[in-house]
Amino acid sequence: MELYHVVTAIGIFIIIYGVIISEKIHRTTIAVFGAVMLLLFKIITQEQAIDTIDFNTIGLLIGMMIIVSILRRTGAFEYLAIKAAKSVKGDPWKIIAVFSIFTALASALLDNVTTILLIVPITLVITDTLELSPIPFVLPLILASNIGGTATLIGDPPNIMIGSAAGLGFVDFIVNLAPIIVVILAVVILIFRMIYKKQLTITEDKRAKIMAMDENLAIRDAVLLKKGLIVLALTMVGFVLHQYLNFESASVALIGAGLLLLISKVEVEDVLLEIEWPTIFFFTALFILVGGLEAVGVIDFLAQGLLNLTGGDLFFMVILILWGSAIASAFLDNIPFVATMIPLIKSMAAMSAISVTPLWWALALGACLGGNGTLVGASANVIASGMLEKHGQKLGFMSYLKTGFPIMLVSIVLSTIYLIVFYL
Amino acid sequence: MRNIINSAEVSQHTIKLQQLGAKVQLVNSTLCYVNFSLEGLELQYAYNVNYKGNYFLERIKPYPLALQEVSDEKGVVKIISEDVDKFKNALQSNHSQSFISMAQQISRIFTVFEDTFLNYNIPFEKVEKMYKKILALEFEIDMIREISSEIYSEENKDGKSE
Repeated sequence: MELYHVVTAIGIFIIIYGVIISEKIHRTTIAVFGAVMLLLFKIITQEQAIDTIDFNTIGLLIGMMIIVSILRRTGAFEYLAIKAAKSVKGDPWKIIAVFSIFTALASALLDNVTTILLIVPITLVITDTLELSPIPFVLPLILASNIGGTATLIGDPPNIMIGSAAGLGFVDFIVNLAPIIVVILAVVILIFRMIYKKQLTITEDKRAKIMAMDENLAIRDAVLLKKGLIVLALTMVGFVLHQYLNFESASVALIGAGLLLLISKVEVEDVLLEIEWPTIFFFTALFILVGGLEAVGVIDFLAQGLLNLTGGDLFFMVILILWGSAIASAFLDNIPFVATMIPLIKSMAAMSAISVTPLWWALALGACLGGNGTLVGASANVIASGMLEKHGQKLGFMSYLKTGFPIMLVSIVLSTIYLIVFYL
Repeated sequence: MRNIINSAEVSQHTIKLQQLGAKVQLVNSTLCYVNFSLEGLELQYAYNVNYKGNYFLERIKPYPLALQEVSDEKGVVKIISEDVDKFKNALQSNHSQSFISMAQQISRIFTVFEDTFLNYNIPFEKVEKMYKKILALEFEIDMIREISSEIYSEENKDGKSE
């Protein structure tokens, strides 16, 4: 590999990364541009570029997006949310607690952004009914969606990428990450209880309005709901068993999506229109960009540097990756960060005799939970604040930071203790 | 990102409307705005295209009018084209601006009328009086049409205004 290729690849990568961080140009536009620049400057060939794309990640994302797009039409989420709000008799603090648990659970099975898209609209309807500011309700939901998403292979895109690259399955993620996520969620809910318990009070007439809501009116298509839940349940069983049945996780998601498309009779063009194609293209372009760095040997060079820095000490590496990825993900998009870290960890595994499995868990915990640190740390945060703004409420960077960052630090401290006790 | 946030807002509307007892059907569609400028007069139409093949067409400017629901794209273009032709023709009249002002006034009257109907308790004799005046205006317009020569019809599309 000539020096020209190395310098060009690094230059393209740094410029594209900088523009993604600046948010001056849509992240997908600039990532695709960067990927094709690698082809233009002959850093990699088209065949090599295609080889770098992780189709397991892409397939899993598309499959789950299809299933969620169809499930959204049933009104099941709204039904459950209204029922939950009524079950706690419209008590604001209890609504926050129940919705946070509900969001974390949903986020473990669905993408974080999707979960926020489903839970925030009904939350805003409830806060309108209670005539309360929606911010104390939506803020815990943002945090809960990022926390819940960390628990499973399919809960957050970084986990999908890590699982695919490291050969870790759905059950591996549940067994290794879900326990600490339950603890973190419980602690975060307790923190919010201290903040909001006495602040939020309502009158009897507002409570009566919540109790008068009819959850049955939210169900748009009962037949589709049954079909959707059956396929979702089968897909979850598929995820649990995929390693034993020798199926890639993408195959499970796509089989579920294909089956639901067939039996739901929903217009396929409408479903495919709702797939987040910009996200899919962003992933594809990132794989190519990082593949370019790998091809010119930069990733191996960085891996060697990291090994030298840590002296090959696993404890030091786990702490460095956990805290480094948490701080980085609080301010940067965690998807390109994880896309870069994955080949780095794989290179370190190839160069040394250490077992890198704890590093994958450190990366997953750091990258997913780090997103809670700032308003720009995760897509779910940005979308929820956009929804609040459209609703006439401003959740600013600093007001989010005051709550989000300390809670992120608490979650990373808990993760550090967990990793030290069980893996080091 | 904008599309995602908009779709979440639609969800919020849907939940509120469902709680009012509505059945809400969401249909993906494309909204088309069509603009013409005829001798300084702005003509604007909007129509909605969806995969079910229904086109909801309405004129927005110079005064709003729901033209009709048509079932194919050719129908939309035909209706707009005829409407533009009629305006081109009408603009040759010295009275065109007066007619446009009157049409805009009628639109405003309808808004006031609806506000009156929905927000006020009007005595019966006043309702009767309004109804008679509206019928009288309609009759007057019909009478004027009868004594005037028709300058635009399907058979006489190239007719000229006087």
